[in-house]
Amino acid sequence: MSEQEKIIEIRNLTVTRSNSKVIESANLTVEKADYVGICGPNGGGKTTLLLSMLGVLPRQEGNISLFGQDIDEFRDWNRIAFVSQNAINFDLHFPMTVREMVGLGKVSGRNLGRRLKQEDWDKVDQSMEFMGITPLADRRIGQLSGGEKQRMFVAKALVRNPELVLLDEPLSGVDAETTEQFYKLLSNLNLKNDTTIIVVSHDLTAVFCRMNKVICVNRHVHSATITPDLDAEGLLKKAYGEHFHFAFHEHECKGAFRNV
Amino acid sequence: MPSMSTSAKGLSGMSDFFIEEIIRLLGYQFFQYALLGGALVALTCAVVGLLIVLRKESMIGDSVAHTAFGGIAIGILLGVEPILTALVFAVFSVLLIAYMRTRGLAHSDAAMAVMLAAGFSLGLIVVSAAGGFTVDLFSYLFGSILTIDTTELVITAILAIFSLAIMGIFYKELLSITFDEQAARLNGIPVTALSIAFNVLVAVTIVISIKVVGIILVAALLVLPGLSALQLDQSFRKTLLASIFLALLTTTLGIFISALFDVAASGIIVFTAVGVFLLAVAYGRLGR
Repeated sequence: MSEQEKIIEIRNLTVTRSNSKVIESANLTVEKADYVGICGPNGGGKTTLLLSMLGVLPRQEGNISLFGQDIDEFRDWNRIAFVSQNAINFDLHFPMTVREMVGLGKVSGRNLGRRLKQEDWDKVDQSMEFMGITPLADRRIGQLSGGEKQRMFVAKALVRNPELVLLDEPLSGVDAETTEQFYKLLSNLNLKNDTTIIVVSHDLTAVFCRMNKVICVNRHVHSATITPDLDAEGLLKKAYGEHFHFAFHEHECKGAFRNV
Repeated sequence: MPSMSTSAKGLSGMSDFFIEEIIRLLGYQFFQYALLGGALVALTCAVVGLLIVLRKESMIGDSVAHTAFGGIAIGILLGVEPILTALVFAVFSVLLIAYMRTRGLAHSDAAMAVMLAAGFSLGLIVVSAAGGFTVDLFSYLFGSILTIDTTELVITAILAIFSLAIMGIFYKELLSITFDEQAARLNGIPVTALSIAFNVLVAVTIVISIKVVGIILVAALLVLPGLSALQLDQSFRKTLLASIFLALLTTTLGIFISALFDVAASGIIVFTAVGVFLLAVAYGRLGR
């Protein structure tokens, strides 16, 4: 098996926020076409880890490289899409339709001051189609449900054909069926386009059923490749504590397990 | 029915009178200047103002216009075109407000209050030291679009066209920043540079609006068209077009009514804009 391209490489990363260490001596590697779940208790540093990967937070120690390039020199942000945890908490009266919002995904540092062309709008329509929100195209963004808002923001993120997509807790407060559909869409994206996806998620079943790598964060970072014989509970205990129980059975995945 | 026919004749006589008056007014150069200047300012206010409302910075017009008063007073004292000295003060003011906010020295509202106080008090000192208020200064406080002269119209036109061009080129980037600054930054949009540019355009828009409605009512001209358009709950494109339409409608109507009935144009323009806002609210609540 040939060695996969390294998309993210973190070595000895320590991040401090408000004078306390939130991430300590983290090491991890994400390779091309990985579908990675980041889990861990609240306040454990999941969002901090994700934002560090985007170079948004100052780091105290360590190195991060994106697509083989040091993060301080990395400028090709067009290859990366990020959907923030707070994305859905926007002003409900903001005057935009879903199509206009997805179209904003095409606005970047690369096409400053240039009008969007027909091919850009074609891409917008394809992205909405992929996320199953075409019927909502002309609806005002404030009228969407939580799940629909998330799908809109992912459609906006995908419109530039990113090679790496980072999502911070995209599904808090969304029902189980919508959650399942959403992770399935991400699986399709990952499998069809080889898009590398990193998702912060509390849904451990979705992580272990659908993804191929898991990163557990509680100041310390533990990562593992998900295989049918992985000791999931043992790994999760490192982040959630000794009292944590998680029995993972492949049959719960109803055929969604990627190695089945 | 003699009474009805008399009143019908009376109405038709009145409408004939107004049509003649309007045609007569349109022949005057001062009125053509007022309409052209008013329309350019209305257009700029509609475009810039909608983003100001969405950024929740509606009072910036009030603050910066009052700061600009300091510049106007100095301009009149030194015999320099007051619009230009006002512009220097206004640009300085918006940039300082943005600086105080981004550096965490003060929230937007407090920073605006500080700049309003600083500029206006400086203006009062200059005015009193120069021997009191002049008619000229009153025209800046309360607006006097019907007295706009060639120099003022040319400066207004250049500034308005400059602002509209920049807004036209970077509108989608500015919209992206307004909706989610962090996401815009991660998309590689130069957020800091464009925010500074937008702040300068806000200052320019406020300064050219002073001639139309005066320092005291600038905030209304800047905010009301966009705010009224927002009540219609439309797409961004339609909201922007509605904002432009309403700004042009109220300003043009205000200038005509002002000239026909000899009342203050600034008062009529803003009062009409408030009326349109109330109608838009009613439509938004009941019409759909």
